[in-house]
Amino acid sequence: MNNAWAAPVLIRFQMDLTLIVVLVIALALFFDFTNGFHDTANAMATPIATGAIKPKAAVALAAVLNLIGAFLSTEVAKTISGGLIREGEGGIQISPEMIYAGLMGAVLWNVMTWLLGLPSSSSHALFGGLIGAAVVGAGLGAIDYGVLMSKVLLPAVLAPVIAGTSAFLCTRLAYALTRRPSGVSSPKRGGFRYGQIFSSSLVALAHGTNDAQKTMGVITLALIAGGFQAAGSGPVFWVVASCALAIALGTYAGGWRIIRTMGSGLTEVKPAQGFAAESSTAAAILASSHLGFALSTTQVASGSVIGSGLGRKGAEVRWGTAGRIAVGWLFTLPCAAAVGAAAALMAHWGVGGLVAVTAIGVGALLAMWILSRRNVVGHHNAISDVDEAGAAVAIPSKKHRRRLARAAKEAAK
Amino acid sequence: MTIHWDAFLIVAGTTWLSALVLVGLYSFGVRLMAVADDGGRTAVPARAGAYGCFALCLAVVLFGIYLIIPALGGS
Repeated sequence: MNNAWAAPVLIRFQMDLTLIVVLVIALALFFDFTNGFHDTANAMATPIATGAIKPKAAVALAAVLNLIGAFLSTEVAKTISGGLIREGEGGIQISPEMIYAGLMGAVLWNVMTWLLGLPSSSSHALFGGLIGAAVVGAGLGAIDYGVLMSKVLLPAVLAPVIAGTSAFLCTRLAYALTRRPSGVSSPKRGGFRYGQIFSSSLVALAHGTNDAQKTMGVITLALIAGGFQAAGSGPVFWVVASCALAIALGTYAGGWRIIRTMGSGLTEVKPAQGFAAESSTAAAILASSHLGFALSTTQVASGSVIGSGLGRKGAEVRWGTAGRIAVGWLFTLPCAAAVGAAAALMAHWGVGGLVAVTAIGVGALLAMWILSRRNVVGHHNAISDVDEAGAAVAIPSKKHRRRLARAAKEAAK
Repeated sequence: MTIHWDAFLIVAGTTWLSALVLVGLYSFGVRLMAVADDGGRTAVPARAGAYGCFALCLAVVLFGIYLIIPALGGS
């Protein structure tokens, strides 16, 4: 990143930053945090469920890969508004207030779905919130419904179908190739655990390059709208760095409720099946981001897990959970839009309105956090089967083994 | 409203093909490894084959990383 270019921006940033821009940046970074938090499950739920990686190591790995990923590319950030809202000439002016209201809708919906343990698309929440705010600011004409249909709604249906089919076929293939006469020789399918480390890392890296950039794009949009940055310019270095840090912290915090749903709520995941699911997720994300048919990581990953569950004989897919997730997806856009619209209405009152929106938003977040404390889900209990298996086996540590060996030698004397 | 069905089909096809290739290679490697662990006459070639499969998998994953990082010219 060009420091000579960043420095003047930084000075202006310190000199004449208005309240609203500060609020937008703070909320955008919090959205980025919830985004990481929500999406840890996409990459790490299946390796945690099969015991390929220990829960804490898995979130640490995902966090580091997200941090690295966020620095790798700013392509997505440059096209964030993506034409969904008709901005610019003949369209509407996007104000920082609108972005703030939209972000509020997205953040509240993300935390709400986390509380319910539902994997839902953070990008849909962000789109929804911004759409809601735009409709209040400029009427229903502000939305390009064709783009909404072809870029948001249709991919939401197609993503799980593509990934699910892929995971189903891959699971079948993996089991067929490793099948050996039972009782005579062991198939040793545990070897898939090593593969899972790589396949899930690939998903985490791809996530970092995509999702952190959405927030970079939003902050840059706010800085441009607030007149702090030239129109059409890309994100400056401090924006990139703070977004990378926020998403990595969120990922490390780990949305354990969602990890539980993805790792053990939809179906029971075995190593070969988990590897098939993650490979399908990685392939679908890479194919979609390079061939121009944008798919949501969350929807791809959920589809993969279901598909792999259908593919393994003896696995059962809990359609009740899948149904709840689908309903969550259905509500994501309209609910985030409703909150975004309400926030935008209040923000129209000026500074008092902004303070009110902030107070209500923070209050709602606190309330949801307190609700979550009644039933804490963390790395210790997100997926209980693995923990129980670990406790049952109780492999002695190196130190312990050495001590046992020494004791045995003494006894032999 | 324009739905790019051709783009959708290309994405779907690429996803299916690349995931199947990756999983197929790795599964074959796992199988060869299991054969090698049984011991016997075929153990050495089986193990070599398994490592070959895993190396090809690594190549596929590296290609994925190449695609993710625009600085490498992948996008």
